[in-house]
Amino acid sequence: MTFMKNVSGFAGAIAATAITIAAAPNAHAEALTLTDIAGREVTLPEMPDKIILGEGRMMYSIAAITDGNPFEKIVGWKDDLILYDPDAFRKFEAAFPEDAARMINFGNPYAGDFSIEAVLEAEADLVLLDVGNLFKAEETGLIEKLDKAGVSVVFIDFRRNATENTVPSLLTLGRVLGEEEGALEFVDFYMAEMRRVTNVIDQIPAEEHPLVVIENAAGWQPDFCCWSFGPYNYGRFVELAGGKNYGSTLANAYSVDVSLEGIIEADPDHIIGTGANWAEAKPEVTATLLGYEGDPAVNAEKIKALASRSGFDELRAVKEGNYHSIYHQFYNSPYHFIAVQQIAKWLYPDDFADLDPQDTFDRMHAKFMPYENSGQFWLSVGTAGN
Amino acid sequence: MGAFLMSADTTTPLSAGEIVGAYRRRTARRVLLVLLAALALCTTILIDIITGPADLSFLRTLHVIVDPSVATVKEEVIIWDLRMPVALMAVVVGAMLGVAGAEMQTILNNPLADPFTLGLSSAASFGAALAIVLGFSVIPNVGGLLVTVNAFVLSLFASLALFAFTRLRGVTPEAMILVGIAMLFTFNALLAFLQYGASELQLAQLIFWQLGSLARATWAKVGICVVVLLIVLPYFLSRSWALTALRMGEDKAAALGVNVSLLRLMVLAGVSLLSAVAVSFVGAIAFVGLVGPHIARIIVGEDQRGFLPLSALAGALILSGTSIASKAITPGIVYPIGMITSLIGIPFFVSLILSQRKRHWQ
Repeated sequence: MTFMKNVSGFAGAIAATAITIAAAPNAHAEALTLTDIAGREVTLPEMPDKIILGEGRMMYSIAAITDGNPFEKIVGWKDDLILYDPDAFRKFEAAFPEDAARMINFGNPYAGDFSIEAVLEAEADLVLLDVGNLFKAEETGLIEKLDKAGVSVVFIDFRRNATENTVPSLLTLGRVLGEEEGALEFVDFYMAEMRRVTNVIDQIPAEEHPLVVIENAAGWQPDFCCWSFGPYNYGRFVELAGGKNYGSTLANAYSVDVSLEGIIEADPDHIIGTGANWAEAKPEVTATLLGYEGDPAVNAEKIKALASRSGFDELRAVKEGNYHSIYHQFYNSPYHFIAVQQIAKWLYPDDFADLDPQDTFDRMHAKFMPYENSGQFWLSVGTAGN
Repeated sequence: MGAFLMSADTTTPLSAGEIVGAYRRRTARRVLLVLLAALALCTTILIDIITGPADLSFLRTLHVIVDPSVATVKEEVIIWDLRMPVALMAVVVGAMLGVAGAEMQTILNNPLADPFTLGLSSAASFGAALAIVLGFSVIPNVGGLLVTVNAFVLSLFASLALFAFTRLRGVTPEAMILVGIAMLFTFNALLAFLQYGASELQLAQLIFWQLGSLARATWAKVGICVVVLLIVLPYFLSRSWALTALRMGEDKAAALGVNVSLLRLMVLAGVSLLSAVAVSFVGAIAFVGLVGPHIARIIVGEDQRGFLPLSALAGALILSGTSIASKAITPGIVYPIGMITSLIGIPFFVSLILSQRKRHWQ
């Protein structure tokens, strides 16, 4: 229980939960009762072994906490991983070709095309859903229908309230997958790596925090600027990394649409766009194609084009080489501490001279993931003349 | 129909001098009203350009508009690249929707006709959704213009369907309205189908598109809209007497020598072009095409020489006002304008209706 030390603020309550769970004896008892992220008490009659993922990207966390084959108890998912992070999908495919091929695409659980019949046909006993869609799940009667069919629903969250919900979500996943140990090990790693940033940032007065604009999915819509985050997700990552998030100054909402004129007027110190390999599903994107197959030469061109969009090219942040691009999918995965570390390094290069996020990410892969790290996950635009 | 009909119904014989005098007064009043509306529009354009999250003074902004060479790079980007295209796009698109709605109501003889209620906007939304969700392009290899081109093609397709329908024998304007409504529901259903499968980002993009947005305005788009308006509007104006006659009834118009079916066809073609271009650039904006013409009708009556320009100006005023309001809610945040148009226009519209004692649609 060494991780109880140094715990403060947001992680306090979470850690307390972790202790309770870790201390709870006999977690493998026949019936399993737990409280999920939506605050629902769920009783699983026995350990589920045919699980459907409401989002394919839940594999990021499942792979991180599972010892062995992460697909073992999974029967199907939604194809978002294949469509929006094909690099990661191919990593899984290479490591577990048969399992990746066996995955049934159940489609969008909140849409009419998510067929209860197909769930029963697959003899699934648990559906994992994303808490951001709780309202839709209630509205469409999905939970009730699945309940009637004897299929349990458990909500987790790595996106909506990413920094607050990641640890409890990992613990929940650990319990339903019977991988408590792996989950606790990852939670330890997560907290230690988050602390490496927040312990330093705590010493920097808030009024000295540089202003940061997050451009969500920069280049997804070639003719529009900009989607951003309020104090959630990447907006929160920026705040934890010691930045003042521009979107948070405008609205206390998850998603905020900011105008370019507002950005120009605010004159931010840093601009961070998110990007992933969307080009396969959506060829017209001008985003940086970050991920396991990210090519530094290609992305250097992409980021240059993004930074020289009309209006952007004259921004102080761009001229000073502080236009950055980072892997979009950190926003929906338990690895967001990598993003927090890298953003902190961008904002305070001197304070974090010894912090090497690439090394953190490599160590994480070596320790937890079923495949090796590769590709490119972030970069900055060169200053003029570079 | 206001003054135009009232004088025709008058039983007391008038001297030629009185009739000429009354006609001159009506013409003068019409010109005055159009000029007033144009003046109001100039004011809103100016307000639209001088307001925004960046704090630029009124005189400085005017100076930069008149003489761009004095601007700093920041001022040039903000005023010339960001504010002016949006302000002008609001005006041009508002005018296009106003004119399209006015003439749809005229040729279909129905006060509820506009590009939105007849399904042209939903067709455009569906085309955009095809591009956003499925990446499907109606015309191959258009790259970044995918969404716009799809929206345009689908909207034009919907118009053509309406168009083809008018060619069928014995089709009444009422039946055409019903076909339009049928299309509205069809495309909305197809759209909902695509929405269900959409990812978070696609949904955000789609909703923004459906609610209409001026944020994508560029000089090129403003230019295209102006060209389309300059082609269609003069044609409509040149046919104003025939269109005015049509509002008195198909038979009367035919008796006056109007080829009604040809007129209907040509006007529908013009309306289709206007609405397809407008919605493909800014997304679906409800209300403007419907209410702009009604406001004009309440103010000047049915005579197209006043009604048409005033419909254009009313549409432009509504959208320009919306553009200003959308910036004022929270400076720095972009709101879709489609959801604000109604909030801005409805109080005005309702007050006009309530202040009107006589029926304005006859």
